[in-house]
Amino acid sequence: MEEPRIGVYVCWCGTNISKMVDVEKVADEVSKLTHVVIAKNYKYMCSDPGQELIIKDIHGHKLNRVVVAACSPRIHELTFRNAVEKAGINPYLFEMANIREQDSWVHTDRVEATSKALDLIVAAIQRVKYHEPLQKRSVTVDPATLVIGGGISGMAAALEIANAGKKVFLIEKTNQLGGQVAKLDLTFPHLSSAQQLIQPFIQGTENHPNIEVFLNTEIRDVTGYIGNFKSTVQMAENENIELKFGNIIAAVGLKPFDPSKIEEYGYGRFPDVITSLEFEEMLSKGNILTKYGKEPRNIAIIHCVGSRNKKYHPYCSRTCCMAALKYVHEIRACLPSANIFEIYADMRAYGKGHEEFYALTTHKQIIFLMYDQQEALPVIRHANKNDNCNMIIEMNEKLSGESIEVPVDMVILMVNMEAHDNVKEVVRAIGVSLCGNQFFIEKHPKLDPVATTTGGVFIVGTCQGPKDIPDSVAQARAAAARILATIAQGSVAVEVTTACVNENLCCGCQTCVRVCPYGAISYNQEKRVSEVNEVLCKGCGTCGSACPTGAISSKHFTDKQILAEIEGIMSMSFKGA
Amino acid sequence: MNYRPTIVSFLCNWCAYTGADLAGTSRLRYAPNIRIIRVMCSGRIEPTFVLKAFQQGADGVLICGCHPGDCHYHEGNYKCLRRFKLIQKYTIQMGIEKERLQLEWISASEGQQFAELVNNMTKTLLLLGPVKIKQSLEVQHLKQ
Repeated sequence: MEEPRIGVYVCWCGTNISKMVDVEKVADEVSKLTHVVIAKNYKYMCSDPGQELIIKDIHGHKLNRVVVAACSPRIHELTFRNAVEKAGINPYLFEMANIREQDSWVHTDRVEATSKALDLIVAAIQRVKYHEPLQKRSVTVDPATLVIGGGISGMAAALEIANAGKKVFLIEKTNQLGGQVAKLDLTFPHLSSAQQLIQPFIQGTENHPNIEVFLNTEIRDVTGYIGNFKSTVQMAENENIELKFGNIIAAVGLKPFDPSKIEEYGYGRFPDVITSLEFEEMLSKGNILTKYGKEPRNIAIIHCVGSRNKKYHPYCSRTCCMAALKYVHEIRACLPSANIFEIYADMRAYGKGHEEFYALTTHKQIIFLMYDQQEALPVIRHANKNDNCNMIIEMNEKLSGESIEVPVDMVILMVNMEAHDNVKEVVRAIGVSLCGNQFFIEKHPKLDPVATTTGGVFIVGTCQGPKDIPDSVAQARAAAARILATIAQGSVAVEVTTACVNENLCCGCQTCVRVCPYGAISYNQEKRVSEVNEVLCKGCGTCGSACPTGAISSKHFTDKQILAEIEGIMSMSFKGA
Repeated sequence: MNYRPTIVSFLCNWCAYTGADLAGTSRLRYAPNIRIIRVMCSGRIEPTFVLKAFQQGADGVLICGCHPGDCHYHEGNYKCLRRFKLIQKYTIQMGIEKERLQLEWISASEGQQFAELVNNMTKTLLLLGPVKIKQSLEVQHLKQ
């Protein structure tokens, strides 16, 4: 092995790192270490000039290994790998030390944070000495795409791909396409018909020669890897079909929250307390009537039902405020003289045209009443006989500070959007993760919001987080464009950090064959050794730790590399402690 | 001498390491004496890593993986759990108190739990005092 010539770069990240870590001192300290040829600190290593700095030094100082101490490798490892590759070094002869997320952002003592940064960088330096160049591998991409979910997001993505001439399998668990949008009457803020939006999508999807729709179908298990996935779908008649596809789009959406969990609103007890989705159905039919068939004179619309409340869901569902204002227009069109009460917690009109829509609605002679989510929810009770209304809402009105009673004949609950009950099964099948609110986690919250950390798996629509129709469609078309790009390329780079067997050390015990979750290891009867199928291997490394003779190593996570990292971590500030 | 407990931590890339990153992006605060090493899966963590950390003078070793059922590689965390029980038997025999080697499940959304875990383990290690492994190994070495 050639003598390591290491360049170390300590990032300030503006003041994010430099205010808690003495970057100059750290760079100075590590510059004294063996094999470190140069150690620098710079304001933004990820910026173009930052990357240029590395490239110039690689040429100027004949560096053959690089360490960058900056943010989490989950954010910029790829950026720097690409940079060193540009300078002619194998991208795997690089290592990152996480001194932002796991150091400067979580500690308050500058001395402690600085010595921690030093330890982490020394660990990276010791580790990178044992890095080996790995060759990039690519696999062909099956031009078909699997879309899970037949709502507006799933259909928008499917149509985009199909219109480009590529095959789409669209699976939908219910018996019809359309999702939640198909259940709506009008949409905000333009008050245009939801049916006019969704019906052409449904027909276009059903009749498209490149789209195969599977209704009443759920995803059970997906095998394979980016470019080459496989799944068996079970049709209603117990018929199994095997599908092959190169990419996956999860568009499973969210479902309305069940308000019967909220005692105060008496949903289920009072026939005229209905959910927003039930009200949409009523509007689609063209009549606003109580359960007794009468026109309601007083209608209350309660916001944030199940939202922004620690007991139910902490997050905002984003669409309910505007939908609640939309109802004002729809009710006014039917019942010009009805009293309308908007009982809200905060009015959120964040989107394009939403603030204008809010302003427009306030002129519709309605009464806005504010309640405090954190203190007490409004309580609905039966009215007395001579009250001249069905129900009474008791509430503390926040703006006036008074306890008031609101007479109502109908209450519409603006229910939150929440994850489907079986979301974990979908997540497991396609190998992605959920956040605490049960939304699918994107690869990067800002820079890569439609991809996931699993190659070839994309997320669109509300399953990624509550959103309205335009945002859902935008995400769907973005994911479709990403997939079309890989299909156009014909091949895609895959994980190279797989396991490999040293045949001289392998004793043929086949422990690795048994522990591999992907069936990627097989036993060669003739040679009496194990063999790794690199295409199937995902690089978890569990075989490496099970191997009794040390014959299997996980590339880029070898014993030598990790043991050197441990030594490095313990060699500076903890030494002799 | 001021005793400062040292923790070497092995976190899986998909859940625990992301959870630790989340603690950072959420600007949570925790004790600064932990040093994190990333592995792709908790199933990759082998006994040698743990022993090496103790040999180098770590007062505690913290292993974190995905919650059962949530492993990115289906079942690596179960393998880690089985291996952990064995390693712990071994380290206890070496005179390393049980509390010095911990395995916890941290999801990608549990930044708060991670921060609390580090703080609690630090407190435990403060009570236990410095690890005695170095001394006992030396004694054994002399006997031989």
